[in-house]
Amino acid sequence: MKSQPPRFRRPTLEGFHLPNGLEVWLAPIPSSPTSSVWVWYRVGSKNERPGITGASHWVEHMLFTGSPRYRKGEIDRAIVSVGGTLNAFTSYDVTAYYSTVPREFLDVPLDIESDRLTRAAITDPETDRERSVVLSERERNENWPEFRVEEELQALAFRHHPYRWDPLGYRRDIESMTGSQLREYYRRFYGPRNAVLIVAGGFEPRRTRREIVRRFGPLPTTGEDPRVRIEEPMARGERRAKLTGPGTTPLLEIGYRAPSVFDAQTPSTLLLDAIFGGDAWLFGTGGGWGRAKEHPSSRLYRSLVDAGLAVRAVSEFHPRVHPSLFTTTVLSAPGVRLDRVEGTVDAAMEELKRTGPTREEMREARLRIARGAALAYEGASRTAFRVGWFASMRSPTFERELYGRILKVRANEVREAARAIFDPSSRVIVTYEPTSPGDP
Amino acid sequence: MSSTRDSLAVEVPEPIDGLRVALQPAPALSASVAITFLASAGSGRDPPGREGAALFTLESARVAAGPWRRAELARRLDRLGATITTHFGPESSEITVWGPADAWEGLLETLARVVLEPRFDPEDVVKVRREMAERQLRERTQPDRRAELELFHAIFPRGHPYRETGAGSPRSLESLDREQIRRFHRRHYVASEAGVVMTSNVSSDRARRAIARAFRDLDRRARLDPVPVPPPRARGPEVRVRISGLTDVHVRIGGPSLPRSDPEYPALDLAHEILGGRPVLNRLFQNVREKHGLAYHASGELESMAWGGYWAVDAGSAPKNWERTRDALRAEVARLAERAPSCPELDLIRESAIGEIPLSLETTLEAHDLAVDLAYHRLPPDFWKTWPAVLRRVRPDEVRAAAQRGLDLERSRTIVVGAI
Repeated sequence: MKSQPPRFRRPTLEGFHLPNGLEVWLAPIPSSPTSSVWVWYRVGSKNERPGITGASHWVEHMLFTGSPRYRKGEIDRAIVSVGGTLNAFTSYDVTAYYSTVPREFLDVPLDIESDRLTRAAITDPETDRERSVVLSERERNENWPEFRVEEELQALAFRHHPYRWDPLGYRRDIESMTGSQLREYYRRFYGPRNAVLIVAGGFEPRRTRREIVRRFGPLPTTGEDPRVRIEEPMARGERRAKLTGPGTTPLLEIGYRAPSVFDAQTPSTLLLDAIFGGDAWLFGTGGGWGRAKEHPSSRLYRSLVDAGLAVRAVSEFHPRVHPSLFTTTVLSAPGVRLDRVEGTVDAAMEELKRTGPTREEMREARLRIARGAALAYEGASRTAFRVGWFASMRSPTFERELYGRILKVRANEVREAARAIFDPSSRVIVTYEPTSPGDP
Repeated sequence: MSSTRDSLAVEVPEPIDGLRVALQPAPALSASVAITFLASAGSGRDPPGREGAALFTLESARVAAGPWRRAELARRLDRLGATITTHFGPESSEITVWGPADAWEGLLETLARVVLEPRFDPEDVVKVRREMAERQLRERTQPDRRAELELFHAIFPRGHPYRETGAGSPRSLESLDREQIRRFHRRHYVASEAGVVMTSNVSSDRARRAIARAFRDLDRRARLDPVPVPPPRARGPEVRVRISGLTDVHVRIGGPSLPRSDPEYPALDLAHEILGGRPVLNRLFQNVREKHGLAYHASGELESMAWGGYWAVDAGSAPKNWERTRDALRAEVARLAERAPSCPELDLIRESAIGEIPLSLETTLEAHDLAVDLAYHRLPPDFWKTWPAVLRRVRPDEVRAAAQRGLDLERSRTIVVGAI
């Protein structure tokens, strides 16, 4: 293992700000047959309040339903008709809209994004029509025990902070929110000052820069400060919930308060996650986000899956802007009670807190992260995604900084992270016991 | 450095003692290599009463092989920076390794060991059995999975290779032991019906020699029996499955369809794209979701394979809307068979499908999917280069005719699962 981290294959970036506050990053890849355009807003469900929970996600839907130059359906048509692909997503911290097109059609997504950045229509009739679609999306998710458990876990863990609700929002808010409320939310937060535009792939940088200035430059300087100042106090005592419903296998999820993405302890917590549960989210194998989460050499796997107590056992630490949760999720093996599973998870955590990781575990985890980082930048879309995620957190250079710090973490720092995080007195636990499946 | 055209030019050299090989240049930005072994070992070859054998074999094989037990294979993959994945269907089992370009020889050796020398350690068999039992439960309790299962059972009779999902039943799973799995592996992981697909920047000669060396112990003599394919069922009543506690209703309508080798396949493919395949432009998305707001998800599926095929349209809706959703889905299927699409609509869908091909070459794995598809369906090496011209020749009336044969509402079944 070299002491220096391997060089990223990330393209050389060119960044600039427009006078209206829009942050722009260009990632030219001359040989790429495609170009990918992403607009990231530093706005997510963290910016909502009870009564308008789910607004960010609903606005995401509405930004496909009409703006001055694109009537409803025309955005989809403009991108897909040239062979492109487009979509959007909303998380707790950010919302992102993206299109990837054959490189000769780069102007199409640039035109769309400049049109809807501040001028989406969000009419009342379209809001009402989209309400049933958003509800349908939520209902679909509710049929997954994993979703219900995760939603309950967040609600237990956060009593004050807006991480309390899922980005889909509460059902009652989706049912009652009005077009006027959505428009107000959009006008308040969706402006150049809160947006980051990424263009990655095949394009000529000087011409593209000119096009961006021409299209986005005239937009007004809007977008209220999206920073959230609510702090969630540490819980005094464990919190628990038991859920039942349709499903297959008893499920247990445990959440511990974990540092924000900017915290000094985040690098050691990411390594803790890789060693304890096998996940390596930010720099996972091949940069395939979400791939290969379960790992046979992880502590959890050996304690639970190898021992025949679980079908699946993973940990997850996806750091956010504010302190969030380090979670452990276990699907128990047939006939194994969840209290036994919970006791085994606790024992694995205590062991790690007592002895820390072995030298071999540290080496393997660092190697996995380094190998994954080396493959993180394949293709224009993935490049734009990574640049955009780090830019909306802080800056694209933050990636290299974080990566370098991860590779320098020592075993005792992982142990310290385990001791700090795995504190039973402030954890949250949700169990799910399936009822019997229905039949015709 | 490769260009877009290079990755579409898949090379298919002479088989190596019966083992088919497809070699594809990696895309321009590639830092990785992908290699897949395709075996004619899908659920359609499950022995009677031993449903689940094919999937059980595949999932047990990939976790430990040769000298590497489960944890050791995982560590080896870590050291190589590699990921191993599987893909499974009624006709085939596929194992893919993906990792850094400079580790390609180690990746190939790993894949060959997994294919040729799976350990089937008792603890791994136990683990996979648990996972399959869990999968069976999911198929019964998750509305989309349940609807898929019920549709297969409704349209394909017993003994049909597409009737089962591959997970088996509790009883068949119980009947499978380590020896059964070993036997299935010995019998079906053989050269005569198998292929290796490699997407890399390694020269063809070198890649071919390495593949020949790595798979030299693959059984060259064994021949697989043909799979009997009884005719699909005619129409039947709507199937309703109520699952209490769910919050939505999943509606799925579908029926048998044409094999990939059918001359009408290009027109059928476009019919499917118009109906529910082409993202956001398709009629189901535009009408069921965008116009009527009936469902978040509404789309179509077409699987044209070697022994036949099937089609389906589906949507998840609020409980109060499921009947309207069902009727809207049926109306869209019927409309395509009754009236040919307009030229502008066909052109829009067609050019979208053609224009998407460069996007499939963004990453090694995406490009690799094209080459695996080509090898799986035994298509000519220049298939992806000529496919746009084939699609451009299809006329609107041919789309309607293909829809009448391959998306036939008269021979379809309707499945409704959830909070009804």
